[in-house]
Amino acid sequence: MIGTIVQFLLLAATLVLAFYFLTNRRKARAKAGVKLGFVVFIVAAVWAVLRPDDLTVLANWIGVDRGTDLLLYVLVIAFMFTTMSTWIRFREQELRYARLARAVALQSPVLPATSLIDAPDPER
Amino acid sequence: MEPSHPDRPDFRDTWLIIPCYNEGQVIQEVIENARQTFPNIVAVNDGSADDSAARIHAGGAHLVNHPVNLGQGAGIQTGVEYARAQPGAQYFVTFDADGQHQVKDVVRMVSRLREEPVDIIVGTRFGRPRAENDQVPWIKRVVLKTVVFLSPTTRRLGLSDAHNGLRVFNKKVADEMNIRMNGMSHASELVSMIADRGWRVAEEPVDILYTEYSMSKGQSLINGVNILADGLLARRL
Repeated sequence: MIGTIVQFLLLAATLVLAFYFLTNRRKARAKAGVKLGFVVFIVAAVWAVLRPDDLTVLANWIGVDRGTDLLLYVLVIAFMFTTMSTWIRFREQELRYARLARAVALQSPVLPATSLIDAPDPER
Repeated sequence: MEPSHPDRPDFRDTWLIIPCYNEGQVIQEVIENARQTFPNIVAVNDGSADDSAARIHAGGAHLVNHPVNLGQGAGIQTGVEYARAQPGAQYFVTFDADGQHQVKDVVRMVSRLREEPVDIIVGTRFGRPRAENDQVPWIKRVVLKTVVFLSPTTRRLGLSDAHNGLRVFNKKVADEMNIRMNGMSHASELVSMIADRGWRVAEEPVDILYTEYSMSKGQSLINGVNILADGLLARRL
């Protein structure tokens, strides 16, 4: 099989992404399941790039005409998943942020009898 | 609004918690008025851009400043954490900064909490047959009733107005309270907390003053959509 330029580019991008994800332990603290899922995803991606026709066969099995259509559907699902997990991550972040701000706030209450010198500038 | 109560009960064991965001126009008056009856008030200035902090201090309340704006739910939680750490604090009240809640309702609710075997009393705008001078705008009425209708927990607990901001609760509830929804969805969160932790809950009919000021600031209906969405999704986290 003769590779085209686009196949080379796609494969290179996939491999770089896989390398980055699997070696960057500090940032990608994903759960084991997510990592396994990602490996499966990479393998499927490489396969689809090298043998696009197999994708069409797979698509036909589940009642979709073209492999590219199947790819689009899978992409939409993946996008929804990403959106959801981003949202959850933001929620967790927001909660930590609130706890931090609360801890700061509770460290310096202004009692009624004291002067307001310690209070923040309202013009801020 | 008269603070007078014939026998003037002692409210030194009661803390009013007022979350405040950009309420500089009214907050001082609200605090001064409430302080005629309730000596202990903590107002949480939720990163206001106006002079709320100075007004709160001038009004004679304890002032806790969020360094950034977090939302009403976060403000209430901060106020509860401050108040429950104060010596002698037994009863806690969440009270709105914009003057729509009335001190006479709080007096009644705290007295009830002292006498009845309940942990938390929630104010309701729909507790009595609809009064002639009822001020709840009809659209608000529809939205609030829909929220109640869509929440099985709220109905099971027999609550008719879960989004009423006026609540009175005891030390047990204050100690266990952990509001995680920073924004306006804390009311629904509180309902599930009541259900999950088995707090004994009751309702008390209260009057809400819809002043022009509070109406201009009040929760928009769009917020109702946010509250529903948060209720469906975020609480499962």
